[in-house]
Amino acid sequence: MSLEQQQREIETPQHRHARHQGMEAGEVLDTVEKAFAGNPENMRYFYDLFRDVYCNGIKPHPGKEMIGTMCVQIPDEIIHAADGVPVRMCNGFYTDEEIGGEFMPAKSCSLVKASLGMLKSETNPYSDGIKVIVNPTTCDQKKKVAGMMREMGYNVYDMELPPVKESEEGREYWRRSVRKFTQEVGKLTGQKVSRKGLKQTIKKVGIAQQAYHRLNNLRKQTPAPILGKDIFMVTNAYFFDDLERWTAATEALCEEIEARVAAGHNAAGRRSPRIVFTGSPPVFPNLKLPLMIEQADGVIVADETCSSNRLLNDMVSVDEWFMYDMVDAVADRYLKSCTCPIFTMNDDRIRRLIELYRSFNADGIVYQAFAGCSVYEMEQRSVAKAMEKEGIPMLYIETDYSPSHSGQLLTRIEAFMESLKARGRLK
Amino acid sequence: MDYFAGIDIGSTAVKIVVIDEDRQVIGNKTAATGALVYKNAQTAFLNLLGEIGLERKHICYLTTTGYGRKLFPDADETISEITANAVGAREVGKPFGTIRTIINIGGQDSKGISLDENGNVTNFAMNDRCAAGTGRFLDMAARNLEIEVSDLGPFHFNAQGTPAAVNATCAVFAESEIIGLLGNGHEREEIVQGIHFSIAKRTIRLVKRVGIEELIYFDGAPALNTGLVAALEDELGRRLVIPPLPQITTAYGAAIIGLESHRFEKQEREEVGEAVVVSSGHGCQGCSCG
Amino acid sequence: MNIKAYIDRIDLRRFRFWFQLATFALLVYGGRLAIDLGNSLPTFSCGYNKKGLAGVCYLLPLQHQLAEPWSQLFSPAGLGVLGGFALFLLWFVALNKAWCGFICPLGTIQDWITSLRKMLGIRYSTYSDEQFKKLSLVKYVLLLALIFMPLAIGGQLLSHDWATPYCQICPARMIIPVFNGDFSQWLVDFSSTGKMVLTALGMFITGLFLIGSFLKKRFFCFFCPMAAFHYIFSKLALFKLKKEGSKCTVCGNCYRVCDLQIKPIADNVVKKDILMDDCILCLKCVAACPEQGALRVDFLGRTVFESTKDGFVKRMGLEKKE
Repeated sequence: MSLEQQQREIETPQHRHARHQGMEAGEVLDTVEKAFAGNPENMRYFYDLFRDVYCNGIKPHPGKEMIGTMCVQIPDEIIHAADGVPVRMCNGFYTDEEIGGEFMPAKSCSLVKASLGMLKSETNPYSDGIKVIVNPTTCDQKKKVAGMMREMGYNVYDMELPPVKESEEGREYWRRSVRKFTQEVGKLTGQKVSRKGLKQTIKKVGIAQQAYHRLNNLRKQTPAPILGKDIFMVTNAYFFDDLERWTAATEALCEEIEARVAAGHNAAGRRSPRIVFTGSPPVFPNLKLPLMIEQADGVIVADETCSSNRLLNDMVSVDEWFMYDMVDAVADRYLKSCTCPIFTMNDDRIRRLIELYRSFNADGIVYQAFAGCSVYEMEQRSVAKAMEKEGIPMLYIETDYSPSHSGQLLTRIEAFMESLKARGRLK
Repeated sequence: MDYFAGIDIGSTAVKIVVIDEDRQVIGNKTAATGALVYKNAQTAFLNLLGEIGLERKHICYLTTTGYGRKLFPDADETISEITANAVGAREVGKPFGTIRTIINIGGQDSKGISLDENGNVTNFAMNDRCAAGTGRFLDMAARNLEIEVSDLGPFHFNAQGTPAAVNATCAVFAESEIIGLLGNGHEREEIVQGIHFSIAKRTIRLVKRVGIEELIYFDGAPALNTGLVAALEDELGRRLVIPPLPQITTAYGAAIIGLESHRFEKQEREEVGEAVVVSSGHGCQGCSCG
Repeated sequence: MNIKAYIDRIDLRRFRFWFQLATFALLVYGGRLAIDLGNSLPTFSCGYNKKGLAGVCYLLPLQHQLAEPWSQLFSPAGLGVLGGFALFLLWFVALNKAWCGFICPLGTIQDWITSLRKMLGIRYSTYSDEQFKKLSLVKYVLLLALIFMPLAIGGQLLSHDWATPYCQICPARMIIPVFNGDFSQWLVDFSSTGKMVLTALGMFITGLFLIGSFLKKRFFCFFCPMAAFHYIFSKLALFKLKKEGSKCTVCGNCYRVCDLQIKPIADNVVKKDILMDDCILCLKCVAACPEQGALRVDFLGRTVFESTKDGFVKRMGLEKKE
């Protein structure tokens, strides 16, 4: 061993991991911010939020009891009412995926691997405050990951979700799960979910949803007043940001975008194809595909993913403001309208896609499936068939978190954009 | 006279085509891509211009395509190789009829493209990541068999016995597969034929994803391999349209897109009625257009 | 703000409360002001409420007329029946089942009982799917009985003691006169077997009505033969409940607020005309729908009330106070 080698300080794997992760996040943030001209002023809040949490090591909820959620189906309203802070554990880091890969089969979903990897690494933003991880029984990989999380020392709560959502039995099964969860979460946080508390949090979440709808509705405009990558940043921030701060920041953004619409501002190119994004969820920093689409002169005007639209779309309506009706109403929101591919039927998702395509005046659909996410991979055929029948152009892309085949992906995306433009010229 | 150039920077080779305003090919060139992509491409481009007696300034509009398309800062426009391929095939295929399906095998990928009656891309499929069933795979096989790539065709037709069963799901594994087959005493001709059928099956499976309609156009350098062409035709049970210079279809398509873009921009400028400077200033420098 | 947007933002709960109160007063007390809307009302404006009635529920004259001797009923004189029916149809066609959700005094009373339950913080009950399917046939059985029993009387197959059989068991007969201080119907008539059976059954059903509507929203409407009778003609009505299935996310908000547990309102994304036999056209579903234009009410092809995001947000109290 040479003298030089002996003198070099060895970096611990944790440090190396944290450093690489910061670099990964920083690189994506740089692209999000700098590769596009004319970002809205009020996106600054969101850019800074991500930089703080993922590059500068600032913990999002210091001293608070966080409740980790593994999927979009865990009711935020109830966690808030129990005075907990819901943080979504779905993770988009390639650096974390590499760690999680050790525990899972090679052909498994990047998102699940990355989420597991994040929990394994001690440097994650939530490492010191996760009281419990609530894991709904959605796809097989998420289900089996519960055991691994327990092995890592986490307190895991299995929340049972039915595989069929159309039947009355399924509805009742899920309502029971949510009722039980309402009681259990109170025990965990020491704050019982009360009627008044739940009513308040349903409204609070409702107001946040209302802000999202206001923003999302602006995307129906032609020309597109805001890019999809910014929307993904906003909705991804909802994963872990303080609910009220997030709502205020989103409302501020809405005002700016409304002014843009009034001024006829175009956030995209003159002939940018308008895209509906669907499939496996883009989770920061894995905004690979959305960024590629918008760098290839497309603009994402709507999406049907659990990291964005599905997260905030459906609002709760309560007839009688008592616990019985509120909890059931909240339960229904997370089951009945959910278009997750883990359910046996996917008619709702197809209908939603067609509706989004039409109402957002889109030109085509990009369908992302993470390699190993068998449910999205399997649904592809039926969705492609339905879209073909409707005459809606769709590009299906199977990918993962690795940056290795970006050249090929870009070719496909550009070719798709070019073909949409050619179609547009014919129209 | 206005001239237009299309440069297709592929993984293995750079293909350059220069056309005039009547879409006639004035000159074409193929060179190795190598590691210094831009330098090699630029050198080949200038060499070609020299050979046909033109200068850089005579090229009105330069369009690049292929995986290295973004590495060429001189370009007026970059276009994906799928669109360029479609446009090229539409033009080259005209004497044969209307091309509706393109099978393209390149250096490191293979594609299926379907076109509508007007030659617009309606759907496409590409292989994922690995080089199985591509030109690189054929190169590797030829090297292992110690024959020239150009001999693959004749070897295919000279096979006496059953074609060897080659799986060829992966270029790396196939190498050991070929060595294994040689060790078992298989004739090289049988192995070549086995490889061709294996690639043909694989490619057709890919192209089926977009639907196969007549006429079917096959291009990319491997289309020079008569053995592979035969295997594909036999597997499909249909005749393929093979262009005279299959490796340059995409570069030719890029040049035509350049020509069309140039006309479109010119027309727009005339409509606006004022001189708008075209996005990048590399194109027109002293030629008669503009 | 234009009128349409104003209506779409309406606080339906309050609007219905006052509207129902007004129509209740009109039908139950209007007679005192000499208001007379005739004998063919398609709603339970009970004819036994002699002191205040401003019009009579069509089921009473219908049962009377059908009990006329066959020789008369099936003669040109029987055409008089059609006159009453035509008037009934006119009333109904104008408003469709909104008679139930907005006008029916018996429905309004049930809504008041529901308010009482809510004040006490007691949870409502629901039927299971199987119960729903079986029980939903009851109203058709009652409808057949109220048509064929009078016919049997007219044909002398049944004694006159069984006259107006449905009215005798209808809770409206006992309950509505009470609002004018009239308790004369709270009796079991022992004058004949038929009368005794019917009035005793009526008393039992009234008890059931009071308990049932305390436990279940619009308990009685589910069994109402008038609802079944309405449904036969609802295709002709000018008011229509429409659904735009493509805009529906199947979230189930409409189903959950539905007093009559009508599931297709949420689950059926194909049917455009979504009015079901149990529907009382109370429009709670439209008010609870968060999807722009997924549910709406048309009158003569013109949309008069539609689900909107804006209206939803206002009704749910999610608007920021300025």
